[in-house]
Amino acid sequence: MPAVQETIDQVRQIDVDQYKYGFETTIEMDKAPKGLSEDIIRLISEKKNEPEWMLEWRLEAYRRWLTMDEPSWARVRYPKIDFNEIHYYAAPKGTTGPKSLDEVDPELLKVYEKLGIPLKEQEILAGVEKTKIAVDAVFDSVSVVTTFKEELKKAGVIFMSISEAMREHPDLVRKYLGTVVPQSDNFYATLNSAVFTDGSFVYVPKGVRCPMELSTYFRINERNTGQFERTLIIADEGAYVSYLEGCTAPQRDENQLHAAVVELIALDDAEIKYSTVQNWYPGDKHGKGGIYNFVTKRGDCRGKNSKISWTQVETGSAITWKYPSCILRGDGSRGEFYSIAVSNGHQQVDSGTKMIHLGKNTSSRIISKGIAAGVSDNTYRGQVSAHRKAENARNFTQCDSLLIGDKCGAHTVPYIEAKNSTAQFEHEATTSKISEDQLFYCLQRGIPEEQAIALIVNGFVKEVIQELPMEFAVEAQKLIGISLEGSVG
Amino acid sequence: MNMQQAIKMTAAETALVDAYTAQIGDLPGDGAVLSLRDTLVHELKTAGLPTRRVESWHYTDLRTLLRAVPSADPSAFADRVDPIVAGSTVLSVRNGEADLKSLPEGITSRSYTESLLDGSAAAGLAVLGSDDAIGRINGGLVRGGLEIAVGEGVELEAPLEIQVAQSHGQAHTRFPVSFGAGSKATVLERHLSTNGDASFVSSVSDVTLAEGADVIWIILQQQGPADTHLGQIRFVLGKNAKLHVFVINAGGRLVRQELHGRASGEGADLTLRGINLLGGESHTDVTFTLSHDVPHTTSSEIIRNVVFDRAKGVFQGKILVAQDAQKTDAKMSCNTLLLSDDADFSAKPELEIFADDVQCGHGATVIDIDHTQLFYLLSRGIPEKKARAMLVNAFVAEIVEELEDDEALVEALEGVISAWLEKHA
Repeated sequence: MPAVQETIDQVRQIDVDQYKYGFETTIEMDKAPKGLSEDIIRLISEKKNEPEWMLEWRLEAYRRWLTMDEPSWARVRYPKIDFNEIHYYAAPKGTTGPKSLDEVDPELLKVYEKLGIPLKEQEILAGVEKTKIAVDAVFDSVSVVTTFKEELKKAGVIFMSISEAMREHPDLVRKYLGTVVPQSDNFYATLNSAVFTDGSFVYVPKGVRCPMELSTYFRINERNTGQFERTLIIADEGAYVSYLEGCTAPQRDENQLHAAVVELIALDDAEIKYSTVQNWYPGDKHGKGGIYNFVTKRGDCRGKNSKISWTQVETGSAITWKYPSCILRGDGSRGEFYSIAVSNGHQQVDSGTKMIHLGKNTSSRIISKGIAAGVSDNTYRGQVSAHRKAENARNFTQCDSLLIGDKCGAHTVPYIEAKNSTAQFEHEATTSKISEDQLFYCLQRGIPEEQAIALIVNGFVKEVIQELPMEFAVEAQKLIGISLEGSVG
Repeated sequence: MNMQQAIKMTAAETALVDAYTAQIGDLPGDGAVLSLRDTLVHELKTAGLPTRRVESWHYTDLRTLLRAVPSADPSAFADRVDPIVAGSTVLSVRNGEADLKSLPEGITSRSYTESLLDGSAAAGLAVLGSDDAIGRINGGLVRGGLEIAVGEGVELEAPLEIQVAQSHGQAHTRFPVSFGAGSKATVLERHLSTNGDASFVSSVSDVTLAEGADVIWIILQQQGPADTHLGQIRFVLGKNAKLHVFVINAGGRLVRQELHGRASGEGADLTLRGINLLGGESHTDVTFTLSHDVPHTTSSEIIRNVVFDRAKGVFQGKILVAQDAQKTDAKMSCNTLLLSDDADFSAKPELEIFADDVQCGHGATVIDIDHTQLFYLLSRGIPEKKARAMLVNAFVAEIVEELEDDEALVEALEGVISAWLEKHA
């Protein structure tokens, strides 16, 4: 069913125009000069009081990066990025934003309201000045941070920024950093290795079940560290941790290029669950601006019977280039990937996963749901491979695409490679519009068309929503609802 | 004074370029044809054969895999063999020269060499894209083939078998074939070799179906275990045209069979069926692209692969649905039986969709023989070896049976499959 003009208008309005005002602010910051050189890297390292080995590590990555070419295989188009026009270091202080919520785009606030975000949090998200205080206020008033920190400490879980961890737990960082995504992994990961400014570090000790969902929400982060974020999560033998990244509310961000790296390591019998909701600025209705999100996320099921599960809801960014992967190294390990990617306006999404089966009796499951609207392009790109020694490797892949409107594109590019006769791979993909039959059924039961569409779409993505932690699931469902609001006349 | 540094040529690349140089003046065609040949060979010389870095050759790194190319030998054709379906009209091509014996009524045919000589072949010699290595090699070196036109409304009773039999050396052939409106025909494009000597074969078929034409086109590749086969079929389907392409790979050491088609008329329908019987040290790649250009077209693709020994198989399928092509219905599936621990299969079934009112899907599986099925047969007292053979046979024979309208054809193809399986299983 081709979307009606009104749909397109409305969706455009909701997803794109809401940012119109949020980006007017001028920022004064303690910035390093534009461009990248060994001196800039030394400066970053020095500002962060890093140990010598870390500086060497960064420099090594930088030298490799100089010899690499920007990848061009993904189905995304964008003007050439001038890597010398970027500030690679900006001190977190001195930002100026709107003075209060009154100055923030009312449309944006409406979205917050729909998502049910508390006022104080809205201020943080909208980048209202004195944010830091606001954050403290929010959390301190209920003593969330203090309580959480104490509880985590009791359990022995280390949860801090990676810069802090480098100073306080250098051995742990040194032991694991770059072991999943090596310095020279790919163009953007290598750039990240050279210049990353911050990120999260989590270590869950042997046999510990992390008592709560860890979220970037709770860690009072220095603002403006999102551009080259580096996250490292280690679950030691028998440990369990669930980590939430991002948030459903549209986030302001001045940096156009994001190149994050996330590394997960699960040792014997450990389990890591990593959930992401990404809703960055997608650019305006003409496709100008917006975040370029080039992320390298990879998990290593290093131990026996370990498990890593990725769940993502992607609705933002002008360009998404993201393939959360699992290396199933340990015998009996398991990898999962659940994804919802909604693209609208001029957004381009090229996302998927890799399941690399190396160990015996490893299994993986991929459920990917792509929804394309507007003039966007939505590509699923995934690889499933079984190594010669990966006896009884098992994979199930399902990727479904839904098209709303006749100007968008949905593409599926799976790579299936079996080198073992005991491997059992199943892959299925479908592309369609919303079924007229289903819609008709709902309508003749007296359900208004808009609700019916929401119902059907929610049914379409249900398998993935179910994988999200409770609090995220509710928000994500609302977010998808909002994105599709008005998709009928 | 060429500023652009040419690549260091591999032995195979050198051999191909040398083959061209050695035959200058001898290869048919001058003027536009000759200058096009020059361009294609020059491209081959400067860019080389495709490597895995070229996306469409990701799983078949031709530059590494093609180690040697036997030198061209004008006498290296073999005698014609009996057609696979008794009673077929056989058009055999020897060293590019076609024997144009008496054809059934309604078909006109001439040697492709003549088209090269009079320049009319020039337009069709261009490559499909920068990654079209087969078109490049073939366009540079093609000696001949057949140009066939099936007249409007002509219905052929017996199949037409185009036979390219080679004993060694090289063969580069082309077959532009057009089917008139409302015509009906079955064509067998058969490539075989008569001994174990290495030969290098490239072949491009250029098939057009006018309104309402109904065609079964079977590619039967039975080259020897040392042979390289680079095949390509390009097809364009007109309004309500119906094409059933059936590819059977049952031979060769290094094989790439490309199929590139367009559904350009409303109501066009493509059926692709493929059976890849892979054994030994062979590497076989079937690469398919279909573009649904207009509304209301349908396609269905089923590929079945059986992989033994140390063989490696590849299937790449890409269905493209243009923005206007509403109401497209496309289904693609690729099923593989891996029967050896050293066997290897890679699949890349792609969908690229720009229209919203469509039904498109693909499925791919890689499995071993179903143990419950095997157990069932064993419990009925069938020895394991035989039971396995039965299951493998059933896995592939299933799709041959779709050609049930032509019993003789089904029987002949099943014969090819059984003979191959008996030899390898």
